[in-house]
Amino acid sequence: MDRRSFVKLCTGTVLAAGFAQSLRSYAGAIEDFAPAKLVGADGAPIKASAVGTEEAMVFAYPFNAIPCYLINLGQRTAHSQTLSSPDDGDYTNPAGVGKGHNLVAFVAICTHQLSYPTPQVSYLRYAASGSELAGGPGRIVCCAHGSVYDPADGAKKLSGPAPTPLLPVRLAWDPATDELTATGTVGQKFFQRFFKTFKGDLIERFGPGAYRQDVGPTAKTVLLSQYSGMVPAC
Amino acid sequence: MTEHFDRRNFLKASGALLAAGSAGLAGPALAAGKSAAVATGRKANLPKAKGPRLVIVGGGTSGLTIAKYAKKEYPKFDVVLVEKRDMYSSCFSSNLWYAGLINLEFLANHSFLDAAVNNNYIYFNATVTGLDRAGKTLVTNEGDIAYDYLVIAPGISYDYDKIGVSNVDVMTALRQKYPGGFISPTEHVTIHRKVQEFEGGVFVQTVPGGNYRCLPGPYERACLIASVIKKNKLKAKVLVLDANPEITIKAKGFHAAFNELYKDIIEWKPNSAVTGVDPDKRTISTEFDSYTFDDAAIYPNVRASTLIEQLGLMAPPTKSSQKEANVDTRYYNIIGDPHVYVTGDSRPHPYSKSANTSNTEAHYVAKVLAARAQGKEIAWVSPETICYSMVNANPMEAISVDARYDYSPEKDAITGFSKDTRTFEDRDTAKGLATLEWARGIYRDMFEA
Repeated sequence: MDRRSFVKLCTGTVLAAGFAQSLRSYAGAIEDFAPAKLVGADGAPIKASAVGTEEAMVFAYPFNAIPCYLINLGQRTAHSQTLSSPDDGDYTNPAGVGKGHNLVAFVAICTHQLSYPTPQVSYLRYAASGSELAGGPGRIVCCAHGSVYDPADGAKKLSGPAPTPLLPVRLAWDPATDELTATGTVGQKFFQRFFKTFKGDLIERFGPGAYRQDVGPTAKTVLLSQYSGMVPAC
Repeated sequence: MTEHFDRRNFLKASGALLAAGSAGLAGPALAAGKSAAVATGRKANLPKAKGPRLVIVGGGTSGLTIAKYAKKEYPKFDVVLVEKRDMYSSCFSSNLWYAGLINLEFLANHSFLDAAVNNNYIYFNATVTGLDRAGKTLVTNEGDIAYDYLVIAPGISYDYDKIGVSNVDVMTALRQKYPGGFISPTEHVTIHRKVQEFEGGVFVQTVPGGNYRCLPGPYERACLIASVIKKNKLKAKVLVLDANPEITIKAKGFHAAFNELYKDIIEWKPNSAVTGVDPDKRTISTEFDSYTFDDAAIYPNVRASTLIEQLGLMAPPTKSSQKEANVDTRYYNIIGDPHVYVTGDSRPHPYSKSANTSNTEAHYVAKVLAARAQGKEIAWVSPETICYSMVNANPMEAISVDARYDYSPEKDAITGFSKDTRTFEDRDTAKGLATLEWARGIYRDMFEA
């Protein structure tokens, strides 16, 4: 039995009771993966109340090469709804977590033509205060072809050519510790397409095979401006 | 800065005074007699079709995208992409190479073989020589291919007659010495060498009239050559001879670049249609003036690929002044023939002839083909022209446009840009970087799974 199967069997029993906030309603819709606690550069768990509203934080989940954005929506909350992915079918995206129900996470790969953040540059960003392309504050913008997503509405497309929403990552928030853990996502087939498309780049960056390995029990989470050398503000 | 387009801007921008108009499928019967060649009887060496055979001619943006997405939309299609080149290199983004912003690998490191394997179709390296529409057979130098559906996406050819060059010796000299650089990779290699080796004097860049490929392309190239001149501190200028009264698209952004970045380097002359060129004396004439140049990229007017004319698929002059294909405005089939389609830059529509237009148009045409193979019809969807222009190389700064188009059922024609069309004409480094990722995205959409 591998670690993922183990976690699938145990979901809801071994996780701390507080995690159930986001697990109960959506476990059937979102695929469970091994939980990964979000930690800072120093390895200490990040606190939900310390996540800023000005830019996204980046972590890898559920595999080493899959970048995800952690976003604090500020005054807005995120509701759950049924959405669809052409690769992976229907799913119900999780509502926001945390004290204000305003923390959400998404796979940071544009569903249009797969732009994603790298250490060199990120064409996809959370434009908290708006931008030339965004048309309003608090939106995720892809500079490559102008797709704009609303993270408070399941990361559905607001404008531009993206065919479908960004894929969600399910977070569990422990009110006792104020810590965050990624527990599942949607996108197995989408991830395989991503791996195939960028295989050469990912091997160069992570090593053969390493890019598609599980991220492990912790996921280092840093600000996008620290993660990518350039973040064009389109 | 965001600016909405109106109809007047549209006509100026497209340079196309003829909107694409045509009847639907209920037109006259097949005009098969106009086809240029009949089947040779020698079958191409291809596996037996396992479903309705969709043959696509042309491995550019349109053909590659249709090959991939038609198969996705209707997996029963047995797709064959016929392409005469054995090595891909894109026309889009080639200007960036001249200023050293990308290398040739950026344009050319994309395999027809990989695209076919990734997307479950056959890449067939052959040149089309004829078409028997009555017998639904495409003729190639590698043998005949029977089709159920045929898409022809051969791009453009140059029309030197329209710049006053009809002498074949002069035309040949121009093609070879001062290529336009908007069709083939070998032109790009030549222009790259010219720019890299330019040591001073006058470099002429012409802008044709009509609806030419890549409306901002000549202006972008002028900016990037000027960037090189500026960087190398050359005593030189770029003379832009523009057949149009105004810059054809993103005028505000280009004027700003010309005036603020290259005031003493770029000399832009509107209403300066080329009327003749002497390649030996290196002189170029307009209606009122004549100029001597040291080097040049002479972009003549464009027309549909000569293949369209050769195969008897050309629209009458009343429908296209640029020898484009005689297709239905919304569904792209040749009038009266629901089995043959022409897409990409050989279309007669007044769309901007750009990669993004062809890519998004192809997504839609793939759906049309999939629907028709199942006896259905779908609603028309506008293509989208997302187009970045790099106006500065040091640092990279760009401007952009995001346009869609309106269709009038009453006129059965494309009548202008849609209301949500926007331009972003304040150059910045964000759009400069995005220009590179825009191209990578299109490559991924054509070549990857």
